[in-house]
Amino acid sequence: MRATDNQGSFLNRISIRRNQVVSMDGNHEQELEDIELFQKHVSDRFSDLLSPSDDTSADALLSISWLRKLLDVFLCCEAEFKAIMIMGRDASLISKPPLDRLFHELLDRNVKTLDVCNAVHHGVDAVRHFQKLAEIVVSALEQRPIGEGQVRRAKRALNSLITAMALEDKDGTGNKSTERAWSFGRRGGSGAVNKDRNPGQFRAISWNMAKGWSASKQIQAMSSNLVAPRGGETLALPVYISSTVMVFVMWALVAAIPCQERSGLASHYSVPRQLSWAQPMVGLQEKIAEEWKKKEKKGCSGLLEEIQKMEKLVQSLSEFAESFQFPAEPERLEEVANQVAELAETCKRMEEGLFPLQQQLREVFHRVVRSRAEILEALEQGGKSSTPIM
Amino acid sequence: MEDYKSVIPMQEGKRHVIAAAWHITKALVASDHLTDDLRKILTDLDSHLSAMPAILESEGVDFAEFERQLKHAEEDIMSWETNQAMAWDSGTEEAPKYVKFIDEILTLIESLRSLSNEHGKAKELLHRADRVLQLAMSWLEEELVHLLVQNKQFFEPEYMSFRSCGADVTYDESFTSVEEDTEEAPKRNSTGSESEEYVVDLVHPHVIPRLKSIANVMFASNYGQEFCQAFINTRKEGLDEYLVILRMEKFSIEDILKMEWKNLNYEIKKWTWVMKIIVKVYLASEKRLCEQIFGDNGSVSTTCFTETSKASMAYLLNFGEAVAMGTPQPEKLFRLLDMYEVLDDLLMDVDALYSEESGSDFRIEFHELFSKLGDFIEATFAEFGNAIASSTSTSPFPGGGIHPLTRYVMNYIKTLTEYVDTLNMLFKDQNVEDSNSGFELENGQEIPMTYLLRSITSTLEANLINRSRLYKDVALQHVFLLNNFHYIVEKVKGSKLGQFFGDTWIRQHIAKVQQHATSYERATWSSALKLLINNGNSMSKTTFKERSRSFSIAFEEVYKNQTGWCISDPQLREDLQISTSQKVIHAYRTFIGRNSANDSDKHSKYPVEDLQNYLLDLLQGSPRTLQHTRRK
Repeated sequence: MRATDNQGSFLNRISIRRNQVVSMDGNHEQELEDIELFQKHVSDRFSDLLSPSDDTSADALLSISWLRKLLDVFLCCEAEFKAIMIMGRDASLISKPPLDRLFHELLDRNVKTLDVCNAVHHGVDAVRHFQKLAEIVVSALEQRPIGEGQVRRAKRALNSLITAMALEDKDGTGNKSTERAWSFGRRGGSGAVNKDRNPGQFRAISWNMAKGWSASKQIQAMSSNLVAPRGGETLALPVYISSTVMVFVMWALVAAIPCQERSGLASHYSVPRQLSWAQPMVGLQEKIAEEWKKKEKKGCSGLLEEIQKMEKLVQSLSEFAESFQFPAEPERLEEVANQVAELAETCKRMEEGLFPLQQQLREVFHRVVRSRAEILEALEQGGKSSTPIM
Repeated sequence: MEDYKSVIPMQEGKRHVIAAAWHITKALVASDHLTDDLRKILTDLDSHLSAMPAILESEGVDFAEFERQLKHAEEDIMSWETNQAMAWDSGTEEAPKYVKFIDEILTLIESLRSLSNEHGKAKELLHRADRVLQLAMSWLEEELVHLLVQNKQFFEPEYMSFRSCGADVTYDESFTSVEEDTEEAPKRNSTGSESEEYVVDLVHPHVIPRLKSIANVMFASNYGQEFCQAFINTRKEGLDEYLVILRMEKFSIEDILKMEWKNLNYEIKKWTWVMKIIVKVYLASEKRLCEQIFGDNGSVSTTCFTETSKASMAYLLNFGEAVAMGTPQPEKLFRLLDMYEVLDDLLMDVDALYSEESGSDFRIEFHELFSKLGDFIEATFAEFGNAIASSTSTSPFPGGGIHPLTRYVMNYIKTLTEYVDTLNMLFKDQNVEDSNSGFELENGQEIPMTYLLRSITSTLEANLINRSRLYKDVALQHVFLLNNFHYIVEKVKGSKLGQFFGDTWIRQHIAKVQQHATSYERATWSSALKLLINNGNSMSKTTFKERSRSFSIAFEEVYKNQTGWCISDPQLREDLQISTSQKVIHAYRTFIGRNSANDSDKHSKYPVEDLQNYLLDLLQGSPRTLQHTRRK
């Protein structure tokens, strides 16, 4: 009860009950102001993400650096939420209805967020795997002169890459049966025919989430009980805002990075449009959902800008490799050289960005763990002392 | 393929000689002091010489040699494709044929590359040579995977079959079914010494030289990336498979938080067991395998090791995080201590395995989990104290026997002594804060542990005293405390707990037991005994009759009540019966004897012998009554 600290009024001593009312009123204004500011900050931060002020292509929607900004936004909003709701607040307030229920739902969302963080962290490993294969393609096609040897080398890596991407798209768990098939076929007569099938690089990354775990179900569960509070419930609003940010960020991550089981991701979740502070988020959500729907039909391992770029280049280079005949036409070679340079650039951005992204995911993970502990502690304290302590 | 090495200098030399001759001729033609004839000869020579390189090429003498060798190589590689055995499975001692083969191809490629700018023919041959190299490399890559898979070995520890061992102290809230203490102290899985520094061969040693030579050849051919990818993926799959063999299941954090304790208990035991094997044995061996194969190429070795292990390690780490996120409950304490001890034991290993920059996050995370678990253990221990303090009841425990809470707490703290070092370490600071808590400590005692244990038993004693007040009968209050305190003292005396509580404590508590025994006797018999005493004089017949009758009623009342009560310890019961007998029977006999003139046999209902026998029925826990024996 910070507002009461400076009130030397004798009323304090006469009537605790009355004092409470007074102090609540004093608090209330401050509170409304804090919440107002919180809404504004959320809105501003997401506006920046929607249309970055410094227009560099590196920060394009769903690029690695954009995702890193998104995680920064999450961390900021989370910290502000805690400052408003937990710090310096009488714990008994949040442990009473209706806030207690909202906080318990928030805790549940927290836990699901942790699992999504882990799944995405794992998905980034899959993207690194793509990167390593793409780097082989670059190494092969950067050589001069380009002959069949180089092209075959590139083709082998490209096939592995296409397969890996397709597997990540399919279920993100790595398909055990396909994975295993090679170990029987290799020395057999028929196994030797398909020389470009590359056992070592064929599989998707398998040590993943628990069996049956589904990213899209998690998102759905996180958002299903998310209801905008009615006018009177002032303190419910920050909980709602914070949860909305949390769900949105997790949803965007799952859309961008390969993740276990993502079917129907776009239809499971939408940001409510009537709220003014959520407008930039609505804009982003629509853009991403649009992309997702487009991609879901033809398959994609993630909306990450770098992955999409890679997919396009891989497609084109793969066509080149399939139809290659020695010697290649100089114009075609020049075109390939440009594409290889682009692929190299994409790999470089992955090399520089993915590791910090994983570190940031871990930071988010630990932050959420801490917040959960703090909320639990506050709830427990509040539960113990249902009579306000002055 | 013969050596082209000799071919090349010959060709090069020839070209140089021709070029030199041509330069000299040109210079001579340009000089002013020549006769016309001589100038004509030199001009002819000049044009001949200038045409020489083209002639050389068109002659194709040396290229024919290149081509012959290349053709040979192409045939070789085709035969590998169709007849695998030829290149590999024949003999392991001699340097594999492919080493020489690749070496030659690489030399050929190098030569052709240097010529390819000037000669179309060289370009074409280079193209073919690159293709041969690529075929050989993809072949080697498959060979690598094949060797790794076929020669994969898994470490099978003697204690491989995971037994769900480790201390379990169960407390049934219903107070009805509590197992009698298993006297043999549950043996904790002290696998520490068994797996110490235990590096094994994860791949059969006889293929290591071959793997190494494949690595050398592929790296020399600039196919290092392919090698690493194939190696990492295959080894990672091996680790996944091993975890499946160890029956390590994957759970989400949500699963773990929602898991019933019984299952989580099992999973934690498995985790501590798996962690030890994975870190101490498997990963240490994996690291050595990487070092063996990549030799002095340290950075590649580190990358491959980290990439191979990180997903599995991340899962094991997250499992720990999830457990540390749970609610502190007393029953979790031992498993948490197990986890803490395992991490304490493994931190150095983890630091060593991931000593490079790329593994620094891992190292930090493991240390953080370690300290998180420490905090969680402290919270859980505090919760244990709270649980004892707040375990209350509104109805008295029937029969005044040993309360399940007493058994639970004592077995619990007895098990705690197995973790003495860890607990002393964890509660080092707490003890300083509470050092003036009034426990006097004897020399040589483990300070924090002593404090912890004594604070728990004091809480328990206070709880028992509160519970005893639920009995209306004061004698039963004392029976209850007698039983429970005696149990506590015996438990302390008969186990490692003794060394923490010390002789003084034990003496004090034996005295307490004694005191409750005395109080019990007094509460039970004092009023009845008063009836029997009459300052040494004989009493009147009516008084005698009256007192004798009153005594019988009082005795019957005691008999009715106290046959249903129970002293669980036979020795304690016997001692108490002897003591009672001495006082009551002695007084009764004197009472009868003194009043023999009053026809005592007729008026006293019970003969001394009967009374003595009846006393033996008391405190046996089977309710009886003497009603039916009244007046046959």
